[in-house]
Amino acid sequence: MNILIPHKWLLEHLNTKATPKKIQECLSLCGPSVERIYDINGDKVYDIEITTNRVDSMSVRGVAREAAVILKQFGIDAKLKNLNLPSVSKPKDSEVLPLPKVVNNPKICKRITAVILKNTQQNPTPKWMAERLEQIETNVHNSVIDITNYITHELGHPCHAFDYDKVMATGGVIIVKEAKEGKKFVTLDGEEYITVGGEIVFENEKGEIIDLPAIKGTANTSIDDNTKNVFLWLETLDAKKVRATSMAHAIRTVAAQLEEKNVDPHLSEIVLLRGIELYQDLTGATVASEIYNYFPGNVQVESIKITAKRIEDYLGIKLTDSKVKQILTDLGCQVEVQKNSKNHSVFIVTPATFRGDMRIPADIIEEIARIYGYHNLPSVVMPTRIPTSYPKDTDFNLENRCKHYLVNIGYQELYSYSMVSEELAIQSGYSLEQHLKLANPLVENNVYLRRSLVPSLIEAIENNKLRKELSVFEFASVYHPQKNELPDEELHLSLVSSKKLREVKSDLESLLGQVYIKASIKQTEEQSAEIICENKKIGEIKIVDKLTVIDIIWNKLLSVAKHHPTYTPVPKTAVIIEDLTFTLKEKTAIGPIIEAIVKVNEYIKQVELKGVYKNNFTFTITYLNPKENISNEDVDPIRRKVVSLVENEFKGKLVGELN
Amino acid sequence: MTKKQNIPIISSIKELQEAISKYEQQCKNDLNSSTNPQETKSCYLGKNGIFNQLAKSIKSIPKENKKEAGIILNTFKDVLEKSLKTTKSSKQGEWVDLTIPGSKKTQGHMHPISQAMEEITNIFKRIGFTRVRYPAVDWDWYAFEALNMPKNHPARDEWETFFVDVPKHPKRGKMVLTPHTSNGQVREMERLGGKPPIRMINIARCARRQQDATHTQMFHQFEGLVVDESINIQHLKGTIDYFAREFYGEGCVSRIRPFHFKFTEPSFEVDFSCHICKGKGCHFCKSGWHEVGGAGMVHPNVLRAGGIDPEKYTGFAFGWGIERTYSLKKGLNIDDIRLLYSADLQFLEQF
Repeated sequence: MNILIPHKWLLEHLNTKATPKKIQECLSLCGPSVERIYDINGDKVYDIEITTNRVDSMSVRGVAREAAVILKQFGIDAKLKNLNLPSVSKPKDSEVLPLPKVVNNPKICKRITAVILKNTQQNPTPKWMAERLEQIETNVHNSVIDITNYITHELGHPCHAFDYDKVMATGGVIIVKEAKEGKKFVTLDGEEYITVGGEIVFENEKGEIIDLPAIKGTANTSIDDNTKNVFLWLETLDAKKVRATSMAHAIRTVAAQLEEKNVDPHLSEIVLLRGIELYQDLTGATVASEIYNYFPGNVQVESIKITAKRIEDYLGIKLTDSKVKQILTDLGCQVEVQKNSKNHSVFIVTPATFRGDMRIPADIIEEIARIYGYHNLPSVVMPTRIPTSYPKDTDFNLENRCKHYLVNIGYQELYSYSMVSEELAIQSGYSLEQHLKLANPLVENNVYLRRSLVPSLIEAIENNKLRKELSVFEFASVYHPQKNELPDEELHLSLVSSKKLREVKSDLESLLGQVYIKASIKQTEEQSAEIICENKKIGEIKIVDKLTVIDIIWNKLLSVAKHHPTYTPVPKTAVIIEDLTFTLKEKTAIGPIIEAIVKVNEYIKQVELKGVYKNNFTFTITYLNPKENISNEDVDPIRRKVVSLVENEFKGKLVGELN
Repeated sequence: MTKKQNIPIISSIKELQEAISKYEQQCKNDLNSSTNPQETKSCYLGKNGIFNQLAKSIKSIPKENKKEAGIILNTFKDVLEKSLKTTKSSKQGEWVDLTIPGSKKTQGHMHPISQAMEEITNIFKRIGFTRVRYPAVDWDWYAFEALNMPKNHPARDEWETFFVDVPKHPKRGKMVLTPHTSNGQVREMERLGGKPPIRMINIARCARRQQDATHTQMFHQFEGLVVDESINIQHLKGTIDYFAREFYGEGCVSRIRPFHFKFTEPSFEVDFSCHICKGKGCHFCKSGWHEVGGAGMVHPNVLRAGGIDPEKYTGFAFGWGIERTYSLKKGLNIDDIRLLYSADLQFLEQF
């Protein structure tokens, strides 16, 4: 969360000559990050990012406190100024107004402080305050309302101004409780809301809601033009409940942001005193009650034990005990140094009440390290043990080799979304119900966790219709639902190409050749087939809308892939190579014919499809006997067997005649 | 050009040596003046060339000297062959246009994200990291709870998580699209049975409910995790500095500043120095530094969730967007991150 801090306002809490630029530099290196410095109303205004664990810095004084410690570390003079708040004397009996009765629920509200301020005049906000409110982008109304915003920003605890007379008119009783579901209430800007149940609300004895603390005032108790007396009130609520209330009604206020992060209840004292001071000065109000203070469980801060050795472990360098003590003390901690049985230093650190983020030794280390300066630590790559246990069934090198190969033969790699539209999901072949889907998708086009990469790739090709020949691939997971389990994230290597089928098949063959495997194709339907290797299906090849689609299941490929071939000795004998052309009937699959021919005789080394002309298929057959040169006499009977095979089993007809 | 010559009959070693001497010199002269080295070669070493004729003409040398003569002849042949060595060149004088453009070949391209992943992996492999791949769809427990973020904690808001429409798991909570690769931290600790050393690089898809010029719903992150005895902040700095140098070039350094994550303590924001102004500030970077992501010392609760004793071991972790990290490279100039997932060929083919 960000906060705007005008430089001159900061200097009311911080005594330093450092320039805004210097302050920005030092703070950003060791503490809250000053993202920008603006020039507004003749002053520099810091735009600072405060992390969610440092609600204590969400105020002018909080930042001043940080700056005092950090600037000192850079050798720049800086000191946090004392808050000189005037003490409040008890009002005369004639001036006293009765306090409303407060019924608290300590489970949801840790502390309440309040005071009645009588005769508040609705004076316009003085120029100096109005300018500051503008600098911090807060609306200016009149002094009665603006004081609450001002002191919250200055000192870091939210506060609320009730119209005292309205509170008394509703019965003069404030009950702190969790709302029941379905209760109506009207906010101070006239909006009507209904409770969802569980929100922290203030109710009167009749059960009417008279405030939504930290969220929004209600019309029945809020300040208006007729307000004469103010009931200034600060409560510190249970962080989780405030957050739930704020999120339930989608109202995010500064007060909610502070309370949901466990703002320190001790801060409400000083905010109240500052409020009293300003109301007296700016509205002419007088104190008309004692200060109401309900603080049942004074926050007990647990001390943390940490050894000097532990600090050294984290930083890699040794700091002197006095340096450690100085840094922590500057940050508001109480530090006691002891020696343990080994005569090593041990620090007993009790953080300030506003440092709710300091709870474990690692938190202490963070404080010491950041103030000492991360930029002051050496930078060394760890000379420690190197693990050699690698994840199973994973081969990143192989993945890269295959990708590189595809790229080198002309394929474009794509990355497409894992979550797809209804249309693309159905195109995978699985029904919508068979997909996992997002409960809170961002857009309609990305809802279902895809079960195939292919529809996304086809879509990509269709979006680039101007390209005559386009080949794309993606290597990514698909998500198969598993009951009561995370989905099976199955990696696929999918290719889609608009090139001719035989070209794409040659791409597939050479890709598989990269990992030294040969696959055979088992046609299953008119336009789809399985890719089989070592009797395992490793993927599919099919035609979709004139595009050739190859979908390989990666882990199946991985299980048969090799890193190197098995060397076959180069034959020393001569080969005989010849062509045989056959006329084949329509719809005759060539793959099985070639596989069958090869099996005819051990001397048939290789059979290739040389060419196709109409229904005529020419096969180039290579004959080889590794032991002695094969002769025409040897080849003749083999040739006859081949012809007989093709003619009888595959119903083909030899073109030409055998001698 | 030497015409075919008649070699006299040689009847003694002395005569042979004289003849050889003469032809060696002649050969040199011919080479210097020759316009056709191929022709000169065949004149001396051809079928009816000088050497072969000389070899035939030693029949008159006495028998006992024939061996010596043979040796002398062989030496002469070596000399001739060396001097007459010509490269097989194309016919002299025929012009070839070497300026003609090459015929068009379809060039494929690896996606820039893959290129970045490979480069990042190699950088970390060199210092002993193991690359792993953890799920993109995970349980709430691994993505948040094990990382010291209890249910309903405001810290979770920052991640704008996608939830999968399935019932909650009794122990693991809701099923989510992981918004960061940090879900891999405790998974890696479990893979190694809670026994350091750990040096992990997890690269995976992540998702967050956000889409604009600098954010896409789906993106990639890489997560580093190092756990062992005596791992400290200096090692985190050292590793990040090493990466900065390797990935962005010599002269690039890193900087860590205080930040807050629930799963690290101390937590840091990591910046890399601007390659243009080297940290001084310019219009490209504004402050001299580019924020790249977060890092920190692993929170003791996270180590415990992974079965590792935080009293004995410490560790650091960092997790950054690949797109963001890559886009900071010198001269890259990618202004809209959505191009990376757009299947826009005119963009992708530039890589």
